[in-house]
Amino acid sequence: MRRAKLGLVILGFLALAATNAQGRIKLVALPERDVTIIRLDNPHVCLVEEERVLTLQKGVNKVDFSWKGVRIDPDSIRLRVLSHPEAVQLLSLSFPPDEAALVWKIASPEGWEERVRISYLLSGIDRLVEYRARTEKDEKNLVLNAYMVLRNFSGEDFERAKVFLDSGGAFEKRIQNGETKRMLFFTARPIPITKTYTWDAAVKPHDPDKAPETVGIPVHYIVENKVSHGLGESALWAGKARIFQDDGQGTSVFIGEDQATFTPVGDRMELYIGDTREIKVTQRKMFEKKINVRRNNSNAIVLYDTDELFTVKVENFKKEPIVLTLIEHISGQWDGEESNFKYEKETANRIKFLVPVPANGSEMLSFHYHRRNCR
Amino acid sequence: MIARKSFRQIRPLALILLIVLGLPMAFPQSTVEAKVDLVTLPERDRVQMTIYNTADLTLIREVRRLTLRHGGNRLQFGWANTLIDPTSVSLKALKNPDKVVLLDVSFPPRTRGLAEWNIDSEIAGEEPVEITFFTSGISWNAFYLATLTPDEGAMDLEGYVRVTNRSGEDYANAQTRLLVGKINLIDRIIDLARREFPYGRPAEIAVAPAAPPEAKVMLEEAERVMRKVAKEVEKKPKEIIKEALSEYFLYTIEGTETIPNGWGKRLPSFKQPGIPVVSLYKYDEERWGDRVLRFLQFKNDKDHKMGREPLPGGLVKVFRRIDEEAHLSYEGADTTRYIPIGEKVELNLGAARDVRVRAVLIEFRTDHFMFNNRGDVSGWDEYRTFRVGVSNFRSVPIKVEVWRHFDTVHWDLTNYGDYGVYEKVDLKTAKYSLELPPNTKKVFTYGLTTRHGRRAE
Repeated sequence: MRRAKLGLVILGFLALAATNAQGRIKLVALPERDVTIIRLDNPHVCLVEEERVLTLQKGVNKVDFSWKGVRIDPDSIRLRVLSHPEAVQLLSLSFPPDEAALVWKIASPEGWEERVRISYLLSGIDRLVEYRARTEKDEKNLVLNAYMVLRNFSGEDFERAKVFLDSGGAFEKRIQNGETKRMLFFTARPIPITKTYTWDAAVKPHDPDKAPETVGIPVHYIVENKVSHGLGESALWAGKARIFQDDGQGTSVFIGEDQATFTPVGDRMELYIGDTREIKVTQRKMFEKKINVRRNNSNAIVLYDTDELFTVKVENFKKEPIVLTLIEHISGQWDGEESNFKYEKETANRIKFLVPVPANGSEMLSFHYHRRNCR
Repeated sequence: MIARKSFRQIRPLALILLIVLGLPMAFPQSTVEAKVDLVTLPERDRVQMTIYNTADLTLIREVRRLTLRHGGNRLQFGWANTLIDPTSVSLKALKNPDKVVLLDVSFPPRTRGLAEWNIDSEIAGEEPVEITFFTSGISWNAFYLATLTPDEGAMDLEGYVRVTNRSGEDYANAQTRLLVGKINLIDRIIDLARREFPYGRPAEIAVAPAAPPEAKVMLEEAERVMRKVAKEVEKKPKEIIKEALSEYFLYTIEGTETIPNGWGKRLPSFKQPGIPVVSLYKYDEERWGDRVLRFLQFKNDKDHKMGREPLPGGLVKVFRRIDEEAHLSYEGADTTRYIPIGEKVELNLGAARDVRVRAVLIEFRTDHFMFNNRGDVSGWDEYRTFRVGVSNFRSVPIKVEVWRHFDTVHWDLTNYGDYGVYEKVDLKTAKYSLELPPNTKKVFTYGLTTRHGRRAE
């Protein structure tokens, strides 16, 4: 791998015209980078800010900045004068041919040391967030560890860099080109969680006995990003979450992983950990009939309602009672006639039942409805 | 409990751990030089493996004793030639978790299969640490051997598990646990193990070609290990302790196991004699044409002397004792699904030759025609009469289900004769359940009325 070459060459010169004709003169002075800031608050782009002290001479100075092998966006490079912003003037910026470099011309009224901040967008460097959670055996709470993984394939070595995310303070890290570094970012404990079971009639087979293998019902952990839940300080970034559970033997068992989505403060994160095969759902259409039939002059049906009924049997093979979230889809205009469980109309065509089922028991949901004005 | 057997080292492999000492902690000058400076090679004190069966995944947990210095310690671990997922490796101090802190893990450039932990220690001396990671290549599966009594009224069921290690790594004296369940995985461990960069590169994820473990060398190594282990004579078959965990079941095998790379091991899981079973025959033209399928039916519950644990999916081979000398005949095999506690089991033993169902249409007529304004037919009824003959040519009593499907929801059935129990299953399905003594035949008829066109409105 090519060594990163991010160099800053400063050349003060007094006879401007003469030097210009000779082309660029390299490596006169290489001021050390003082502080480098890597800002990773944008999920797509990394912004680097570095400060250096230039020794300017009175008159026009030429500052040469090159980035061979480093994935800098040249149009994003900016230079900001910090020590004497009123006095020191940036005259021009030019790009020499066929080189990853640029030349700034800076005019200074005095010979002095000038602190400048150079910033640019750098690609090939980013951060991932990874979560590792451990739930208690009863699955009421979990301890959440968030890790940050810095990946640097930008072509540039950072010996000392302050890394900023969107919240919290900076942390200082050394990260070389080609290096990946993982570090603990925060620990939150104990966070109360909710566990849900969801059966969706549009996704799961209605007759599990005919399915080639035991039908699994998705299990989710719900983590609320709220202060009352031990979180709520900042948004939770998207990232892979691996979940372990205390096994009661002093160790833990891995119980599944999911790609967590970006979760702002106040929102909830749903983690799909796996499928339960301890709950069985069987749905059957038991009744369907046209009613309120209206005909045209030729006696053909032009409008009708329906009278429909389906049943859903939920069997719980677990030793604990459960609440199953049952999602049904009914197209068109419809009215509920009778249901032995309460439901919530989530959208015009999607309804949600919460069906509590006792331990080692079963429940039979029966839903009677009419579709209206079918043509 | 974790078994505390003395450690018998095969190869210090799963993770090559090297402590690198004497380096300034915060910002070391050169990682490349540091790698030469190795000092200690800590041994594995104990190993625990949790093997999953619905994913190619094993969770390894090992305890090693590190000798730490006060201040910064750097520790290398390597996973070359294994199938370990480097992103899963974690380290936890067991005795002084607050004083021994893992600052970061680095996958330095220009190295492959190697990473460094930066550990800050407030203590000097020995510290047991727990290292966990995921590996691919170790698997287990369940299978069953069932033996029916001569009258087929009961069955002995033996459950087994087979553990196979193709991970490129030997595991000696490991506490072995099996996880029964369907976990959600978003990446295959084997893909993570083969990545060139453990976390990929920004905006691209590179997958390097597979580097299979050197099988032959490992086999020789494994045989050596097996010979050593074989000296420990086991007095009784090991027990498997089963308990529910979240939505899964955890099977913990008593004691420890040594499973060298390339080897498999079969372990008895349970044995239950005298499970009452029903021979159930099903006839369903829509699913199986005119064949009658034979099922063995029981329930995974106390009434059937079961119900202590779920049955992981696996192949069930069914035999039958045919005489007093316990000679066996092979009846068939089926792959079961996962069977939770309390759920019914139906083993499909294939088409039966000695139970026959014939359902024939013996009469057809139409009636109740309706006409529209133009004088065309706009509605009518159809009447069909079917005769169903069910013959049991076997010398044992059986149950038979005859499933009938209709292509309309507008139907009525009228039953005649010995039709047993009749049930409307759903909108378009009905089921007749019959019980037949040995060598008997039952015949019944049913009348099917269907309404069409405007007659159905």
